[in-house]
Amino acid sequence: MFQPLDPLLHSELRLAVMSLLVSVEEAEFPYIKEQTGATAGNLSVQLDKLSEAGYIAVEKTYKGKRPCTICRITPAGLKAFEDYVNALKSYLEISK
Amino acid sequence: MEENENLTAERSLEIIRESIEQSRRAMTKHAGTPMIWWGSLVVVFAVLIAYLWKSHGGPVWNVLWFVMTIIGMAGEKMMAKRREPLPRNIIGSVIGKVWSAFGIFCCGLGFITCLAGLGVLSFKSLAPASGYIIPITSIITFALGMASTTTGLILKNRAISICSVIAGIGGFFLALRFAGGEQLLVMAAVAVVGLVIPGIIVNIQTRE
Repeated sequence: MFQPLDPLLHSELRLAVMSLLVSVEEAEFPYIKEQTGATAGNLSVQLDKLSEAGYIAVEKTYKGKRPCTICRITPAGLKAFEDYVNALKSYLEISK
Repeated sequence: MEENENLTAERSLEIIRESIEQSRRAMTKHAGTPMIWWGSLVVVFAVLIAYLWKSHGGPVWNVLWFVMTIIGMAGEKMMAKRREPLPRNIIGSVIGKVWSAFGIFCCGLGFITCLAGLGVLSFKSLAPASGYIIPITSIITFALGMASTTTGLILKNRAISICSVIAGIGGFFLALRFAGGEQLLVMAAVAVVGLVIPGIIVNIQTRE
């Protein structure tokens, strides 16, 4: 039986962002942008969607005089990511 | 990367694997540079202090170790500013804490023995048994070996672990065989084996 895939995570960029954030405590916007190769505008939109869902926490602060956006995964985001990976496994097992 | 929502299960898993692997590579890139930096500083200062100790007035020159610590920290801060921002992760935090503990112990030990050397504290109050000498270089060498080995084990890097065990245990016994400024040459050798060489190896491995 297929488990439903979280539509919020079933997107290339949002999934890449969540995968980056699961292995770190927190990451700055430029790092995520560089690692995903996304444009700043598109990344901002996707981060907002993840933040609105409560999957990530976005903190806007300053580094010296420069604005700095820090993202970290929340416990709800981690749970959603785990569920997504488990759901993927069920798809792969059935397709074998 | 675009906003593609028509993903297959295989493609999704590939994105997850690629992102995690990319993140791991980015974080270990240049991980050996702080080891090379601190190792080189220890070599330069150990040789300098050994020379000054022998030719210009004795062990008082050991205060230069505190100057080295300040230069080292300032240099590391400058390097961190120039590097692209890296995310904080649990591995980096643990390694940072291991080296902080090493720094606290060594600076504490060095500070107390400096006070004794300057006459503020009496040697008798530190080592009441007559004729007993505290083997500071051996202790610091051993602690350096332990901190460096722990780093190697956390990073799962065999080169760091092996070099550090050799440097820590070898340096401990070797430093006991020498007295005065000559001990510092042992310290310099330990820094080369335990910090500089593993640092170079790590940087070569992470560049591949």
